[in-house]
Amino acid sequence: MIEVVALSKNRGRKRVLEDLSLSVAEGGVTAIVGPSGGGKSTLLRCLNGLEPFDAGGIEIAGHQLAPGGHPHALLERVRRDVGMVFQQFNLFPQMTALENLMLAPRVVSRLPAAEARSRAIGLLERVGLGGFAESRPATLSGGQQQRVAIARALAMQPRVILFDEPTSALDPAMSAEVLDVIVDLARGGQTMVVVTHDHSLARSAASHVVELVAGRIRRQGSPAEVLAAAAPR
Amino acid sequence: MRGIRAAGAVALVALTCELALGVARGVAADLAAVVARGELAWAADQEGGGPHVFLDPKDPRRLTGFEVDLADLLASELGVSPRFQQGQWDRLPLLLDRSVDCVINGIELTPERERDYHCSRPYFAYALQLLARRDGRLDSFERLGSSGPSGRWRVGVLTGSAAETVMRSRSDLEIDVIGYDGTIDSMEQVVSGVLDAAVMDDCIFNFYADRFAPLRAVGRPFAGGFYTILTSRETPALGRAVDEALGRIIADGRLKRIYDRWDLAGRQQILALRDAAEIPVAGRSSLRQLAVSSLPLLLASAGMTVLLSSAAFPLAILIGLSIAIGRLHGPVWLRPILAGYVEVVRGTPLMLQLYALFFLLPKIGLALPALVAAIAGLAINYSAYESEIYRAGLKAVPTGQFEAALSLGMTSWQALRHVIIPQAVRLVMPPVTNDFIALFKDTSVCSAITVIELTKRYSVLALSTGRIVELAVVTALLYLAMSWPLSVLSRRFEASQECQQ
Repeated sequence: MIEVVALSKNRGRKRVLEDLSLSVAEGGVTAIVGPSGGGKSTLLRCLNGLEPFDAGGIEIAGHQLAPGGHPHALLERVRRDVGMVFQQFNLFPQMTALENLMLAPRVVSRLPAAEARSRAIGLLERVGLGGFAESRPATLSGGQQQRVAIARALAMQPRVILFDEPTSALDPAMSAEVLDVIVDLARGGQTMVVVTHDHSLARSAASHVVELVAGRIRRQGSPAEVLAAAAPR
Repeated sequence: MRGIRAAGAVALVALTCELALGVARGVAADLAAVVARGELAWAADQEGGGPHVFLDPKDPRRLTGFEVDLADLLASELGVSPRFQQGQWDRLPLLLDRSVDCVINGIELTPERERDYHCSRPYFAYALQLLARRDGRLDSFERLGSSGPSGRWRVGVLTGSAAETVMRSRSDLEIDVIGYDGTIDSMEQVVSGVLDAAVMDDCIFNFYADRFAPLRAVGRPFAGGFYTILTSRETPALGRAVDEALGRIIADGRLKRIYDRWDLAGRQQILALRDAAEIPVAGRSSLRQLAVSSLPLLLASAGMTVLLSSAAFPLAILIGLSIAIGRLHGPVWLRPILAGYVEVVRGTPLMLQLYALFFLLPKIGLALPALVAAIAGLAINYSAYESEIYRAGLKAVPTGQFEAALSLGMTSWQALRHVIIPQAVRLVMPPVTNDFIALFKDTSVCSAITVIELTKRYSVLALSTGRIVELAVVTALLYLAMSWPLSVLSRRFEASQECQQ
């Protein structure tokens, strides 16, 4: 599903990703762990073209990304197939939860309103927020907002979902709500890449763990192998 | 530029002076004070042009004109030296309450002026002359009685002049009368084809005839009267002294020599001045008559103010938003161009931009009607301010919002339209309302290009009726009545947005 080959990226003179190769199988959940500043989020943002890279190549959901700037049309096709969930949720504050879920299917996939609505309602129920369709983001707890954000990504029926520190802005109880949703998705066979420094998340959801240190892969393998060796946080 | 013609301000200042009794009275000095000061302060508008008072083309630092010579002569008759004070022509008489002793600037003797000021005996006889292009259809005054090739004839006059009063009173003619702040402006507009004709004092046309070679006098002068020197009613001794001095210089030929020097037919002038008849003095109209005659006019002009602002502002928003988006998300080569547009438009006065649209564009063959030029000028001027507000608003929306929208597969435009702009609009609502109210009042500047809106109507009415304070209060109330609802609406909108948060 994802093949990263010899990926390098510089920021100014600093090399943030160096000669990085990685493969993610369809239906698998890959957790990327490692210390802050190790390049985890940058790698994730390269995967859906939010950031360009300098060398190497990425194949994701059947699309090829090359070094340098990407054409808009290619990026839009990639992002339709690759969802993203952010640390700060980034829900659209002027819209209700339901409208947040309906917007992209309506304007990007040109889904009829009725269909977008029934899909959105189904997804809100799936993340346990069936009763919050008309709520605005500001009235929801952090955990609820992140679950809406996951449902929003799912509404585009992406082949892969990228998570950038999905539980870092949440207290443990709320983290657990979000973790439940991710585990549930993993059981359903959704391909996911999760950047996290939360080892419990990696342990309970991931099938494969990659440890990134200073822009290079230090270890990768099963959660048990990698997490045991990785520096405890 | 904002509020340059704030009618209320002018009148309120006058009112304040009125209240500060002794102080105000002290300003306009009577004869003894003039002599003690050794200086006669006289007012004129050098923009009014020749041959009255204008800047010497050979030495633009020097003021010249037959009225400059007259002021010099008059001052020496009073044993003092002259001091020139610049003022806008249609407001010159207002200066008498301030720092000026007399007004000498082609002020026509009218019953209204005799009522409000001390008018000296006539010092010059003028006649009104119709002008048109040599190659135009207008070849006689009588032709104005029926419509021209493109409907009613458009005739330019100097605002507040006898030409304006006379032409506006001729309901028998198929003409639209358009007032200009300078005499030369209307000649320019006839040359460029915006106007069909202009009416002015014959001495002005004679003076500029060479410069405006495409123009010719149509028919004979058709009306006329006399110029008078205005002094305040509070300075009767000065008024008498001016009259006596005029009598002396008319009798002994010194005034004739001035007119001969300026090629103004000195002998004819002196004969006319000797025979000048008394003009009866009219009474002041009652408040009731004032309300009946002025209110409908003020209300109609308030309508023009509303039309100007409600047509210009949506355009300003549209242009401003496009510029802001272009500068933040447009192609890289476009961004410095847009930034340059904003700097140029924001850095030059609205009045100048309106002049450019109205007086300069016809020179390259694009003659915009005054209303269109006014709306375009306001829209362009305000678009620069709007664009800066929207740019700030767009930048204030967190980048995470844009990334979230892009990550869902939206194009940049879709992300802006559905996610970013709705949030930015909410942020910029208060400053945008503020700008709308500012634009609303800035419409008064449009009178410079002949559009008669509320402030212009006020100043014309105030000068013709002498009811400066009463009309200013009504005008200010009209402005408030229009801008207040805007403020209320905007606050409601903000409140409803906060509820949604």
